[in-house]
Amino acid sequence: MNAVDGSDHYNKTSDEPPPSLLTIILDTNAHAWALLAPTLPLSAAIANLLVFINAHLAFNNSNKVAIIASHTQRAEFLYPIPSEDDSRQANGSTHNGAQNGLDGDMNMTDGNEANYAATADDANHYRPFRHIQTTLLSAMSKLYKTTSPESLTPTTSIAGALTLALTYINKQSIAFSTTTSSKTNADPLLAPSDPNSIQPATLNPRILILSVSGDLAHQYIPIMNTIFACQRLTIPIDICKIAGDSVFLQQASDATHGTYIALTHPRGLLQYLMLGFLPDQSSRKYLVPPTAVGVDFRAACFCHRKVVDVGFVCSICLSIFCSPPEGAVCLTCGTYLQLGEYGGKPAVVAKRKKKRKKGADE
Amino acid sequence: MAPSRGSAAYKKKDGTLAVSKDGQSVSWTPVAPPRSEPALTLPVSNITNLQQTPATNSKVMLKIFAQASGTSTSETHTFTFTSPTTARAEADTIRDALSKTIQIIKSGGAPPAASGGAGGSSAAMAIASAVSSNPRAGADSRAWYDDEKLKKDVELQQSILKSNPSLSKTFMESLRTKPESISSSQFTAQFWSTRVHLLRAHAIEKNQTRGAYNVLSSIKPMTVDNATRLSISKEQIQLIFNQHSLVKRVYDENVPKLSEEAFWSRFFQSRLFKKLKGERITEADPTDNVLDKYLQYDDDAERAKQLMASHVPHIIDVEGNEQNHSQRKGNQPDLTMRPSSYDRVPIIRTLNSLSEKILSHVAPNDIDPSLPIGVDEETFNELALRDLQGDAAENRVILNIKDQSRFFNSDKGSGVSADALLYAKQDPVKVLRSILSDLARVSSNTNLDTAIGVDDDSDSDYDDESNLKKGHVGSKASLSGATAQMLSAVAQQRAQSDDLSASSSGFSTVQSSSTSGLSAAIFDRLSLTHATTTEFLQHFWSAFLSGDPNRADEIGKLFETLNRAMDRIKAVATDAEAERQKEIEKLKKQVQDLFERTGKRRRMDYESTPGGAKAVDQLLAPTVKAIEVATKQYKKALAQQSEENG
Repeated sequence: MNAVDGSDHYNKTSDEPPPSLLTIILDTNAHAWALLAPTLPLSAAIANLLVFINAHLAFNNSNKVAIIASHTQRAEFLYPIPSEDDSRQANGSTHNGAQNGLDGDMNMTDGNEANYAATADDANHYRPFRHIQTTLLSAMSKLYKTTSPESLTPTTSIAGALTLALTYINKQSIAFSTTTSSKTNADPLLAPSDPNSIQPATLNPRILILSVSGDLAHQYIPIMNTIFACQRLTIPIDICKIAGDSVFLQQASDATHGTYIALTHPRGLLQYLMLGFLPDQSSRKYLVPPTAVGVDFRAACFCHRKVVDVGFVCSICLSIFCSPPEGAVCLTCGTYLQLGEYGGKPAVVAKRKKKRKKGADE
Repeated sequence: MAPSRGSAAYKKKDGTLAVSKDGQSVSWTPVAPPRSEPALTLPVSNITNLQQTPATNSKVMLKIFAQASGTSTSETHTFTFTSPTTARAEADTIRDALSKTIQIIKSGGAPPAASGGAGGSSAAMAIASAVSSNPRAGADSRAWYDDEKLKKDVELQQSILKSNPSLSKTFMESLRTKPESISSSQFTAQFWSTRVHLLRAHAIEKNQTRGAYNVLSSIKPMTVDNATRLSISKEQIQLIFNQHSLVKRVYDENVPKLSEEAFWSRFFQSRLFKKLKGERITEADPTDNVLDKYLQYDDDAERAKQLMASHVPHIIDVEGNEQNHSQRKGNQPDLTMRPSSYDRVPIIRTLNSLSEKILSHVAPNDIDPSLPIGVDEETFNELALRDLQGDAAENRVILNIKDQSRFFNSDKGSGVSADALLYAKQDPVKVLRSILSDLARVSSNTNLDTAIGVDDDSDSDYDDESNLKKGHVGSKASLSGATAQMLSAVAQQRAQSDDLSASSSGFSTVQSSSTSGLSAAIFDRLSLTHATTTEFLQHFWSAFLSGDPNRADEIGKLFETLNRAMDRIKAVATDAEAERQKEIEKLKKQVQDLFERTGKRRRMDYESTPGGAKAVDQLLAPTVKAIEVATKQYKKALAQQSEENG
């Protein structure tokens, strides 16, 4: 029918690849970067990252980017930054905010519609690129300026940053699907919650974590929760491991079919970024990922947040313990567990056993 | 149904004889001291016989013959019913209750749970209960659930080994290499204890039997020596009788007159046979003066009549409407409202009725047996008077999740990593200052070209390699190092994901071999070694962690076995290496031959010949690591305890 009256012309979906949203989580742990400074100073890493972002934006006109700092005790947007006006509005009155913007959130200024008044123009620099560069750098310096020396901890709030990334991705997907498929009257809220019904023209989100610090065991549960959320939304988490060690990030990339690379030559960061992390979801279907082969599937116990080789799992709530909990009662749900023969620590048991044996010999 | 009871005298004392609520025992309680405990309790399963005085006799007595399990002598208990008016009725109810239970026990099934509704239960119900009390099913299903029974069933284990060659290989190999201190029976018990699920699956599989099938259509006459021959088995005759009650009737009425053989040969040529099979009867078919009488007999009508007789009167028969409402199932409206004649499409009718019959004998496996029969959940809910019901009790176990952060906060800082120690040495103020100054530098320099440090014109390819420490970010050396790492990761990933290359992406041209360049024989040995080693590791850990001091010796032996497993792995590696060397020799010889014939020297990279010890080591690396961990743990425990014992 459509062919007859020629209306299929209007229904034709574009053959262009869907735009992708790259959410970068930058681990800004000051201690770790200070340690890295002789090999890869933060400034060089940021420069490399900017080149990578520019490449990503140059791929497709409608590609988007967001950068989130996973700082020592908080997570913060580095780009796009919440604009001053809107944050004031949102703080002052939520009603005002609801009329403004999409759903009452703070309005994020993105490169495409932002006012460039603040940034000095440079004839040799593509404007959006330059905008990102200046925004990111000023946000970074502001972040470190507002950091007190006492607040520096050995860890970084990856879980918080991942949560921020997920909210941003969600917001952008909704905004995207309303602008492109407003005709179809589809409920935008349904789109991200059902991974099976992904339409061809949706935003292609992915998350890239530039990680420099380890010690994430005490964030095990929130990290795992965000990983599972990403898995369900089919958002790959890519890990660029510059330093530190963390088993969970490897699991994150494995569970979400992302790429995990532990850099052996941190100075070649740009090469890693361009070669391994530039392809988006749609092109990765045709590529063999350069991800590490073995995955460390160990978990952290819930009782001492240690990474365990052999653990004990509560059969009711699936909590993990490094040793059978005291009195065989699960610490999380309080269920009485039947431990069977595996009572006590192995070494102690073997020792007692040997004692008897020796006693018999003597 | 109230438990049967009656006042009866036992050994000249007045009392009450009662059958327990579950019908599993009968007890007699004396009247004399009120509320006394039953003086005599007999489990029904022990009762061998019941005797009662005839109805004409004025004295009502019940004699129970009981034989305790395991003894050969039987005791006799005589109860005299004393009620002046209802003695006979009481005795009858008790006798009936007892004999019913005894019968059920003898047939091997459990007593029907809902005997109370027996009066109103439908025909379907009767079938269902008959199926569930099938003695075979009852006895076997219990055997499947019993782990101990499965572990002890040697016959079953043999049969599973026979049906699963790889398991049998592992079993034989482990049995061969097991330490002497462990007896075969110990080993077998250990071996199967971790494979109960396999045993259970196999037991269930073995117990599945073929159900009833359409017999008549499966009987085909064969022509041998120009004579039509037909052979039918006893089971087939049995099935024919079951499926076609008409044949049974014909057989009953005619066989003494006809010989058995003659009956069947006539039957299979008769029109009746064709009719039962659902074929159209033609004029050409031979007639038979005996069997043709039964042609007019309508099997279906008979069956329907029988069903109806025990069934519901039409006026309240709700289901009747369902059957007479043809549109409901998408058929045409029934205009005539008369039974259509049989001759139209006999095959469909026959097959339908036959299928119905066969299915009625099969216990449905997709239906919860506790559900009411004939009423689905929805209908039942509709019929229920909801207003009269209280709130349904929550049938859930509530899971109380405590706040986990409590645990984390309590001992923060106990697990300090190596990174954290390094961080602790740094002065946070200095750290912040250095980073800020670093950032200031990049902010001032807006030119990314120079900031990333990549110099296209640089030809210092290998200069940087030597003094890597001084090398800058983005130097050629670091970039090529990064490229090399990525490409090797890609290659590894590719080698691991065979299925990926086989499926969607059409880019692969080379199938990476799954045996890592090892010959099939070596690879088989390798996988067998791996399987047995894993088996012994399992034994080791289960003994090591059992906490049973009696198994200390066993652990020691298993430890030696693990060491020997290590040797076996090495042996495989050596053999693989020898094989590889042979392969290299062959290649060298080829090159030499080529050189002698043509004078051309071909360059060969012998190092890249696949297989060998390296491949074996790579494949078994996790296993070796597992053995190392086990031995280390063992040695540690041993040293620790020797020390403690002085």
